[in-house]
Amino acid sequence: MDQLIQHLVNTAILGGTYALLGIGLTLIFGIMNVVNFTHGALYTVGAYLMYLAVAALGLNFFLALPVAILGGLLFGAAIEILLLRPFRGQDIDTTMLVMIGAGIALQSGTLWIFGGVAKAIPSPFPEAPLQIGPVSVSWLRLFVLGAALALIGLAYALINRTKLGLAMRAAFQDADTAALMGVNVRRIYTATFAMGSALAAAAGALLGPVYVVYPQMGGLAELKAFAIVILGGLGNVTGAAIGGFILALAEELGAGYVSSGYRDAMGFLIIIAVLLYKPTGLFAKAERIG
Amino acid sequence: MSRLLPLALLAALVALPLALGPSPYLLNALIVTGILTIGALSLNLLLGFTGQLSLGHIAFFGIGAYVSALTSLGFEVDLGFGYRIVHEPWPAAVGFGLATLAAGACGWLIGRLSFRVRGAYFVIVTISFAEVVRLVALNWVELTQGPLALTGIPAITLGLPGIGTWTLRTKLQNYYLVLAVGTLCWLVVARLVGSRFGRAMRGLKENESLALSVGINATRTLTVAAVISAAMAGAAGSLYAHYLRIIDPDVFAFTTTVSMVIMVVAGGKGTLMGPVVGGLIFGLLPVALRPVMAPEAQWIVYGLVLIVILFVMPRGIVPGLADLVRRRPARPAPVLEPSPVVQR
Amino acid sequence: MTGRFTLTTAILLALAATGARADAIRIGVNEPLTGPFAASGTYVVNGARIAADEINARGGVLGKKIELVVEDNKSNPTEAAAVAEKLITSDKTPVLMGAWGSSLTLAVMPKLADYEVPMLVETSSSGKITTSGNPFVFRISPPSALEAETFAPMVAKLGMKKVDFLVLNNDFGRGAATDFGKMLKDKGVQVGLVEIMDQGAQDMSAQLAKLKASDSDTIMVTSAVDQLVLLFKQMAALGLKKRVITTGGSQNPDQIIAQAGSAADGTMHLTTFLPWIPEKTPDPKATETFIAEWKRRGYEFAGVTESFRGYDGIRAIAHAIERAGKPEPAAIAKAFWSVDFTGLNGPIRFAKSGPAGRESGQSKPDVYLIEIKDGRVVLPTL
Repeated sequence: MDQLIQHLVNTAILGGTYALLGIGLTLIFGIMNVVNFTHGALYTVGAYLMYLAVAALGLNFFLALPVAILGGLLFGAAIEILLLRPFRGQDIDTTMLVMIGAGIALQSGTLWIFGGVAKAIPSPFPEAPLQIGPVSVSWLRLFVLGAALALIGLAYALINRTKLGLAMRAAFQDADTAALMGVNVRRIYTATFAMGSALAAAAGALLGPVYVVYPQMGGLAELKAFAIVILGGLGNVTGAAIGGFILALAEELGAGYVSSGYRDAMGFLIIIAVLLYKPTGLFAKAERIG
Repeated sequence: MSRLLPLALLAALVALPLALGPSPYLLNALIVTGILTIGALSLNLLLGFTGQLSLGHIAFFGIGAYVSALTSLGFEVDLGFGYRIVHEPWPAAVGFGLATLAAGACGWLIGRLSFRVRGAYFVIVTISFAEVVRLVALNWVELTQGPLALTGIPAITLGLPGIGTWTLRTKLQNYYLVLAVGTLCWLVVARLVGSRFGRAMRGLKENESLALSVGINATRTLTVAAVISAAMAGAAGSLYAHYLRIIDPDVFAFTTTVSMVIMVVAGGKGTLMGPVVGGLIFGLLPVALRPVMAPEAQWIVYGLVLIVILFVMPRGIVPGLADLVRRRPARPAPVLEPSPVVQR
Repeated sequence: MTGRFTLTTAILLALAATGARADAIRIGVNEPLTGPFAASGTYVVNGARIAADEINARGGVLGKKIELVVEDNKSNPTEAAAVAEKLITSDKTPVLMGAWGSSLTLAVMPKLADYEVPMLVETSSSGKITTSGNPFVFRISPPSALEAETFAPMVAKLGMKKVDFLVLNNDFGRGAATDFGKMLKDKGVQVGLVEIMDQGAQDMSAQLAKLKASDSDTIMVTSAVDQLVLLFKQMAALGLKKRVITTGGSQNPDQIIAQAGSAADGTMHLTTFLPWIPEKTPDPKATETFIAEWKRRGYEFAGVTESFRGYDGIRAIAHAIERAGKPEPAAIAKAFWSVDFTGLNGPIRFAKSGPAGRESGQSKPDVYLIEIKDGRVVLPTL
């Protein structure tokens, strides 16, 4: 029973960061109809920016986090302007391949700049965990959960309470009509991509100190993000958030009770199952986001 | 003209080792390039001719490699409930055949899936399929040896015991084997594309509703294309296993799929020579660049090259060059033969 | 058409260029510079470079300079085999050093037999390497059976009653579990769970939860430093308070202390070098010279526990080439059997190991047990 509670606690913490990854991707995929293969690279970039800020520049840990997120935002905006705009209007395969090319270039770039040896990001929290009954939680992971929830809340508020968010939702429903209504769709696309990338970078920056930072870390994260997006339904932010926790739960329980080696397979099995039986996702509110 | 070019290329490839001299390093590069090119040819069948982007193509390649390796090495697995499977080693050539069949069967599965999901979702399902297969290969250590790798895979032996056997162990022999299989695959694709079935494929790609309305069975067409495509990839995987004599789960790496995609897209998807040209270029480029550039820098270049090609010559090198030669502006739809898909 | 001509010309030029540097003796170095073992591979390569520079400063070997051709095997067996192929056929190196991990080395071995080129194995610990009948393998690191044998007398002193294993999913980890398990059973100690972790795994919470719930008193862990750091941090986060002993010699304790902090306190490690206590090493002066040069180059001190193998490996190769009289694979392979000098962790002398007629060479280095106490490395009082 203790083991189960520990698994549930682990789920809560992992789920938060997965939710961030998923929300970022579902926005991009849903609003812009782009299969974003740079999402994993942005996750890696966020982690490396965190590493640079804390370990190399000596910045305070809590200041470094917004720096990493801001970096992700700028990277995302740059990718959108430089790579997606010129290819707008081409079929989805072409944009997908462009994103693959960009993703590879980014990942190899981090490998080239930082080398293949994994980097550790020192955390300001004590090593000794918080002990609540039979359950142990490290302070760092609690912080990660808190930060993730805060960012999810921020994203939610931005989409549902601001004018920008309103414009994004309009563009999701019908880009042409939104344009007719005076929405600057080009700028919305840039903002959406930047925001999605910032969320991915945030996930990387938060998980970097928990594990280690290495150039290939984004690969698996990206594929899991796709699982979450499909689980939650395209463009569905709430679905993505819940999907993140569901994936974490499946991974924890699968690893704990079935086989630890197949932990990462859970996400993919979920994708295949959902797409075969309920392609619109478990929370199909297909026509809206938020 | 279009008949002469492939023939000339074939002649050049046959003569290449004799011209370059006995360099095992170059032969090695050519063999691996050849195998990847066969993979690219098979990917092109799906991507170029039916328009379905399968980014899990490496799964068929890897399944072919493992099936062939395990068939020729023999294995013992415990399936639980007291069931134990013991397989004695069979000849590698049989492994080759089984690999092709097994991969083709998986292709059938994917083909049926494509009826349910399309576009971006299909891409994601195929990637997921490849990842699950990779994780199974990694974790079912009893069968696949996981990260310990399957080593000592025997080379392919041709001929019949009693009459005379011939084990293809040297690099030169393997080169010609790959060339032979590759040429065969190319001929299969060429025939397929030129036939009624080929026209059905292209019809589906260009306008699905119209194709359906004239009676083309989408599921059947896509499934057959997927089966043949997967079988070819499986054959390539088998050649890979028996040439390298070692296979580990990294054979399922996503980067190899990406290499094949780059070969097809850069070479020219939907054309017959495209994947061959793309394959030769992107297979041999790492070898040529190795003394000059670190591998990470090379991959940055490939990523950028892919983007540039998509921008400048979106249909690929072969159609782009063909247009230049004919001095005609790029046409909106790639047409291989003079016969149009739909009679106007 | 023109593209292909240019390509062929480029290839031919590259070939010509590589052939032109005929004056140096080239030694192939096949190590993981990326992937889960990147940290360890990089340390080994840096140690090798120190040895090469030292040897060249003293006039080189057979009057010529030695040149290291370093290639990355990406912590992957297929790549390790491909790299070996390239080093042998393209760079024409008459001798290799590599490939760090046991699975990597095992993948390279068929190539050594095919091309009849010897390789100095500097780190791998799987027993299979020197018992498969490959006469081109010469190893200076201890097989895990030897590690277990050296550790055997300490088992009773530590009061071990029941042991669980947490090992890497490859020949390195599984081999250790098998060899140590056998030794423990012979000593009357119970073996409990054998949990496996993936090479690249970052989250071992599932395995650790199971280990926390088991009734063993000790966990024996076999992995490389990056994963060990994560393990110790996760063990601390879970409140796992059992005795931990790591094997394999790739722990780099100082890196563990630096990155895992207090989570590493109390852990014990079986290592093959004692850079913290040079007086206790077989050749204290050489140890101090090596450490001084390492620090002078600005490398992390933590890496010394692995880099010394690269250093000793290149030195052993240089001795072999010297004795062979010519930089040719067959002569070097024969000459390895007469190599005899004191390495940084013991005498380097190759004894015959494996099936008769095709023996491999195995040297017998020292193995030590250390403990991390209050952020420092000490020899435990037993």
